[in-house]
Amino acid sequence: MTLKRDTAVALSFLLAFLVLSYAVVENDVMGLSKNPLRPLGEFYLSHAFAPGEMTSHSPEVVTAIVWNYRGFDTLFETFVFFLAIMGTLSILRLSGGQEDMVRDMERVEPHRHMDLIVQVITRLVLLMIVGISASIALHGHLTPGGGFQGGSAMAVASLLLFAVFSKFTLERRGLTLRHTLGAYAVGISIILLTVYAPLVLGGHFLQINLLPGELGLFDLDVGEYLAVSFGFLSVFLILGVSEWIFRRVLRGELR
Amino acid sequence: MIELHLLILAMVVSFGFVFSYLAMKEHDLLKALALSSVQSTFFALGFYILAAPDIVLAYLAIAVGAYTALVILAISKTERFEVGE
Repeated sequence: MTLKRDTAVALSFLLAFLVLSYAVVENDVMGLSKNPLRPLGEFYLSHAFAPGEMTSHSPEVVTAIVWNYRGFDTLFETFVFFLAIMGTLSILRLSGGQEDMVRDMERVEPHRHMDLIVQVITRLVLLMIVGISASIALHGHLTPGGGFQGGSAMAVASLLLFAVFSKFTLERRGLTLRHTLGAYAVGISIILLTVYAPLVLGGHFLQINLLPGELGLFDLDVGEYLAVSFGFLSVFLILGVSEWIFRRVLRGELR
Repeated sequence: MIELHLLILAMVVSFGFVFSYLAMKEHDLLKALALSSVQSTFFALGFYILAAPDIVLAYLAIAVGAYTALVILAISKTERFEVGE
């Protein structure tokens, strides 16, 4: 009985979707085909790479819109991400003594050891992902991509590290929360410096096309790359503490 | 006249719809997560057909990698099966 109802619901959703797409594409319900290029789009396309006062020095119009014409949007998105990370940090924070207790308990916790084959292959794949993410981020002002895209690819690389080697191994090798938060702060400060730099040059806040060449877009992409990849990594490091360890430390059972 | 890329787009997005519906109906949260990442792969293909490579790069990494991992970590702190109904 429920299976029949489920199928009916699913099929009606599909039917609604097909009717809607047919109406938009064939019968031009929303009037999209009459107006292929709107004036705003025309402005972006004709000014992004052309010399002049409104230029962004970038052939990649999407990045030009994201960081220059609609720069405030992206800046505030970065701050929303900042607030999310700060929220995670403040909800799940531990005092210095508690952090030591967690470290002691993780040392005695039984560790999974992945196969040698898996470990070696992961190292190779990891190199490729880091290379690709860097190329996405550092080429962001020339080809499709940008800081956020590269940073999220880098976050996936750090996840692979988590799954194959344990969190404890990473922290022993020096990738602790303190270091990742430091790198995150470096990224945020690169963004803030680039955003405030036009004020020194006599322009407005976020008027990054005053900076020489494509330096403004490049700096913002690099800053966002660092901020997103290390922000995600810090969240994973915080959430990666095993639940039973967290509970025991919070209850203060170990003493 | 129906163009080929629009037809492929409709197919891909319909598959995405089917998988999102399956993910909603699934009571095992880990299976639902796997289904939802299949759905986002289909939607990423749709974005690629719509000529938005910037979105594809971010969407795949976030929806299949980071979002899945965060929810797995959250599930590991609660229970795997949804109860009720």
